[in-house]
Amino acid sequence: MTTYSKKEVLLRVEDVSLSYDRVCILRDIRFSIRDIVRPGLQQGQVVSLVGRSGIGKTQLFRLLSGLQRPDSGRIAIRERLPVEKGDGSIELYRERMVQPGDMGVIFQNYYQFGWRTVRQSLLLAARRNKALTGKEEDAIRQYTRRFDVEDVLYRYPAQLSGGQQQRVSIIQQLLKGGDFLLLDEPFSGLDVCVLDKVVELLIQVSLSDELKTLIIVSHDIATAVAISDTVFILGREAGLEGSTIVREIDLMERGLAWQKGVREEKVFAETVREIKECL
Amino acid sequence: MFKPFEKIKHRTFLILVGSQVAVALLLWQVAGGGLIPPPSKVLEALGQLLTTGLFMDNLLTSLLLTGKALFYSVLITLLFGYASVIPLFRPAALFLVKCRYLTLTGLIFVFTLLSKDGGQLKLSLLLFGIVPFLTTSFLSIILHTPNQEYELCQTLGYSRWESLYEVIIVGKADQVFEVVRQNFAIAWMMITMVEGLNMSEGGIGALMIKYNKYNDLPHVLALQSVILGLGLGFDYLLGVLRHWLFPYTKH
Repeated sequence: MTTYSKKEVLLRVEDVSLSYDRVCILRDIRFSIRDIVRPGLQQGQVVSLVGRSGIGKTQLFRLLSGLQRPDSGRIAIRERLPVEKGDGSIELYRERMVQPGDMGVIFQNYYQFGWRTVRQSLLLAARRNKALTGKEEDAIRQYTRRFDVEDVLYRYPAQLSGGQQQRVSIIQQLLKGGDFLLLDEPFSGLDVCVLDKVVELLIQVSLSDELKTLIIVSHDIATAVAISDTVFILGREAGLEGSTIVREIDLMERGLAWQKGVREEKVFAETVREIKECL
Repeated sequence: MFKPFEKIKHRTFLILVGSQVAVALLLWQVAGGGLIPPPSKVLEALGQLLTTGLFMDNLLTSLLLTGKALFYSVLITLLFGYASVIPLFRPAALFLVKCRYLTLTGLIFVFTLLSKDGGQLKLSLLLFGIVPFLTTSFLSIILHTPNQEYELCQTLGYSRWESLYEVIIVGKADQVFEVVRQNFAIAWMMITMVEGLNMSEGGIGALMIKYNKYNDLPHVLALQSVILGLGLGFDYLLGVLRHWLFPYTKH
């Protein structure tokens, strides 16, 4: 079994609730994502939020991205920022409420500005990232080569295939910078070959930085389990209104995280079955 | 060709248009007569008009006035359109939209009092007629902007002003052309009316009123065909210009 340890909390969701027209959609959502450290490896986090259609996954996605505010509760992230403490020492991180723009967001339809070419869109995103100042073009070249979209730099979104749009969306959000990447149903509508490529691509992204954290909202349980280190199940509890996190499954404990041929393992099938039963 | 939603080739469509126009002209030629001049007479009158310098002068006057009116109308529309996303200015923009229900009758005198000369009167009347329609169309585009466009800006960390620039000013620039194209007909329709109010500066409208006064229908219809032809030409030109300036509108 792989050695790992869980360190600081990177994202904390506390008692989050959301209602629409007095109908409770999400209730008492409570979970946290911690920095997973593997000795000698640069390893980010991949977390999946799974649940049935219409359970409120997209609403939770919007809350996590900061695009919408919850009715109650708080969503806080750990930010890299030198903060002076009372005793004169300096802390490099601070916890603060999530704001729009804190998380890279990949929408389900990979939405892009229709009036910008791929290069223009990527350049706009790279210019938001202070760490890339003066090196925007190099960064775009590197990412587009790595994600195999360098041939479409001068095309408009309408001229791209679905797979290319997805990759461009991911690059755009990566260029913008930040530790979190939220993906809404990234596996839906993909054929088997493309699905493997997307999984491989997301693993690459997660390995790019120790604090890089991917939060995948999906109803594709098998793929979510295959790629993640932790799965949160969004479901309903008997007699209570609204959805909540009904179960947290630590895939590292079960030896299912970071394994290439994980789908062949018996415990994988058992875990998928277990999740399905919870839905 | 006779089934609903049947797809036909562009060439077939052009043949259909050509043949239907030919049939309509033929019917007009055969059934016309009496008070309504047949196409041959209109064509003859058009030939006469084209050879006179007077016609070209009047046409240029009208084109110049239309161009000026469109330029100022677009400017005012953009100003109110962009400002409409700021709550403070939204009432003014919405009022402008509602102004399209007003009629010029009765207001012409007010405009005359407010204008210095005939040229200014014509321009202000045209603006009064065009701006509410342009603003209505532009505001509708702004209102129907997909939320995802703003949300993408937010996820990229744009401020609200940056979002306004990206989504509305840059993102909707191509649609301004489409709005002008769709509403150009109003400007063209009004030009003949306002030129009739102040005939001293001439213009195609003044010329038409003159011919109308003497019941010279062949020349009136010839002028109408020129107006139609120019309108169609302008429509085509704006379409080409839009595709050229904003290549993404082709896809």
